[in-house]
Amino acid sequence: MPGRPSRRSLLAVTAAAPMTGALSACSGSAGSTSRGRGGTTRITFWSALRGSQEVVDAFNKTHDRIQVEFQQVPSGAMGGYAKLSNAARAGNAPDVATIEYPQVPGFAIDGVARDITSLLSQRLRAKLLPQALGLTTFEKRVFSVPLDVEPMVLHYRTDLFDAYGVEVPRTWDEFARSARTVRDKDRERRIAVFPTDGGTQFAAWAWQAGAQWFDTREGAWNVSLTDRPTREVAAYWQRLVDEDLLFVNATESRHHDAQLGDGLILARLTGAWDAGSQMNARPGQKGRWAIAPLPQWDPGKPVVGTHGGSTFAVTKDSKQPEAAMEFIEWQVSHPDALRARLSSGTSSQYPAVPDLVAVGREAFDRAYYSGQDIYRLFEEQAETIRDGWVWGPRMTATQRVMQDGFARAGGGKGSLIDAVRAAHDGTMPDLKALGLSITEHST
Amino acid sequence: MTTTAPPAPATRTPDAPVSARRARTRARRREHMACGVLMTPFLILLVAVFLIPVGTAVWLSFFSDDQPGLGFGPERTVFVGLRSYTAVLTDPTFLGSLGTVVLYCLIYIPLMVLGALALALLLDSGVVRLRAWAQLGLFLPHAVPGIIAALIWLYLYTPGLSPVVDLLSKGDITIDFLGVHTVLPSIVNIALWSNLGYNMVIFYAALQAVPREVIEAAVVDGAGPVRTALQVKAPLVRSSIVMVAMFTLIWAMQLFTEPMLLSQSSPMINSRFSPSMYIYDAAFTRNNYGLAAAASVILLLCTVALSYGVTRWTNRSQKEAAR
Repeated sequence: MPGRPSRRSLLAVTAAAPMTGALSACSGSAGSTSRGRGGTTRITFWSALRGSQEVVDAFNKTHDRIQVEFQQVPSGAMGGYAKLSNAARAGNAPDVATIEYPQVPGFAIDGVARDITSLLSQRLRAKLLPQALGLTTFEKRVFSVPLDVEPMVLHYRTDLFDAYGVEVPRTWDEFARSARTVRDKDRERRIAVFPTDGGTQFAAWAWQAGAQWFDTREGAWNVSLTDRPTREVAAYWQRLVDEDLLFVNATESRHHDAQLGDGLILARLTGAWDAGSQMNARPGQKGRWAIAPLPQWDPGKPVVGTHGGSTFAVTKDSKQPEAAMEFIEWQVSHPDALRARLSSGTSSQYPAVPDLVAVGREAFDRAYYSGQDIYRLFEEQAETIRDGWVWGPRMTATQRVMQDGFARAGGGKGSLIDAVRAAHDGTMPDLKALGLSITEHST
Repeated sequence: MTTTAPPAPATRTPDAPVSARRARTRARRREHMACGVLMTPFLILLVAVFLIPVGTAVWLSFFSDDQPGLGFGPERTVFVGLRSYTAVLTDPTFLGSLGTVVLYCLIYIPLMVLGALALALLLDSGVVRLRAWAQLGLFLPHAVPGIIAALIWLYLYTPGLSPVVDLLSKGDITIDFLGVHTVLPSIVNIALWSNLGYNMVIFYAALQAVPREVIEAAVVDGAGPVRTALQVKAPLVRSSIVMVAMFTLIWAMQLFTEPMLLSQSSPMINSRFSPSMYIYDAAFTRNNYGLAAAASVILLLCTVALSYGVTRWTNRSQKEAAR
């Protein structure tokens, strides 16, 4: 009987429905959206962010209709993104996934992150910092919702800056001069490290200087990693490296932990979030750190780039996108969510919803930073984030090639700009093979 | 046994009785069947683990899930021709990885063949005492799985952990086994350690088959042990040398395990160090299956071409030597 389901197949479907529910409940696997008995909708959520369990607990406590099953996954670089891609290919991605800004375009192009433009309420859209939402919007379509936005700042050791008579640098020239002072006064110590695994840090410096690595304005991906601002930034850092004013090594390493623990490094150039992980990693250095704005090229017109920050996407496999969106909206904009996350004591995230800054300021324990109102500083810095930056479609790979080059430069082979050029050249074939329209001209 | 066919008569008599001809065809049919039965497992494996994957890779390399423009539209699978191939061949990181593996082969294969041959000749000449123990000791590393071997050597190479580096630094020798110029020799060293014993056993077995009279004749003619080894024994195991060189080449082209593990400790080994690592990275980090498939096909073609080249070259020089 074409056009009409037979009775047998209907029976089969009804018999199978509870089965799949039971199976997915047992395995606890992702993508197992199902309605429970009391009309509750269950959605799954993957994240590597600290404090996520606390946030999910707080949500589940206050919501009856939607219940979230949380699964802690490894961070993106440690295999979290591969896990997400593979789950999506197998058709069982979680309802809500955590994606950092640089990877949003890639997951959107691969169809893992769903187009959520129609699900995003006007209310939430109005609340979000436009620079943050701009990073997750392509062709006027929104693919994920920003949780936090992290302007790059200067974390520095107040005690050591005093000991060496170094002022907090306001410009990059002053930073170089301070670096020289530190090196001259103590051969063991350096003002900072050039991170050989810091593709995102280097991007933030280029971003601040006015670079535009990727651009989509003309309906094609324009790639120009080696534009003039980037070349200038690379030359600046190269000079500091050549003058032996910095350590050159990886920051995700035990070696670097030791450098920080032993007080060999006086400053870190990282996102606002790093204030929280510093508290967590080195409680013994309480009272010795403070945070200042990032040095500027032109102090008259301060701008910064961001370093870090995450977004939440509804995946293509979600069967309850509305419920997933409701959870996301609560997570990024409800005061209880931020309080729950900060209660874990390891986070200092700067929310992408500026209304929450007051909540953050209140909930954050200022004792570690000698009472400094770091949220006020973050707020000022967030307003100076340069608009218009676009991440590329294969950012993980682009950064990896760049970092390979940085590591070689650190080993005395090649220069920093060579690494950037290699990343540019290594990215083009990737995008070509994806079938994207691409152009290549420097801005 | 039933599988052996009766010897066919040298000339077919036209007036052969029909029954005899029928018996012959039956025997031939039985032979074919036995042949089929014996070949089936091999053919099944060949199809399942070689032809189907190769076919899939070739298919994947010609198609792609494309979206027009910036790529945010709906996907559709389209035939893209040689696009993935041009992308791979214009990728400096892929060409770099190919260069790395060629350099690796140039260092590794001669060392491996000459080293294994030298050891086998030593064992065969009877210079080595406790031959069985020496053989076992040399062969044992081959029994260690590649990944474990890489872990052992990673420990021996890592400064701060390694007793070797410690010892050398006490003697005022600082060596970074994972530095810019040392990392490739370090990988060659791991591979040599793993495979030297295995190939030595192959050579040793071939040497056992060398007729003793030939060697005796050489000795009578006044050849010393070194001369016997180099000018009499070595040419006689030529076919084994070619075989070992070929297998080593094929194995070396697919370099993956050692650099993959060492890459965690050495920034000098990047994620696209060898072609196999490039393919892995393309598929699982970059999510670019067309690119990975095209790179796999290119690597396969390179390996086939090189193996063919080696056989052609050795055949020709063999003929010349015979002349």
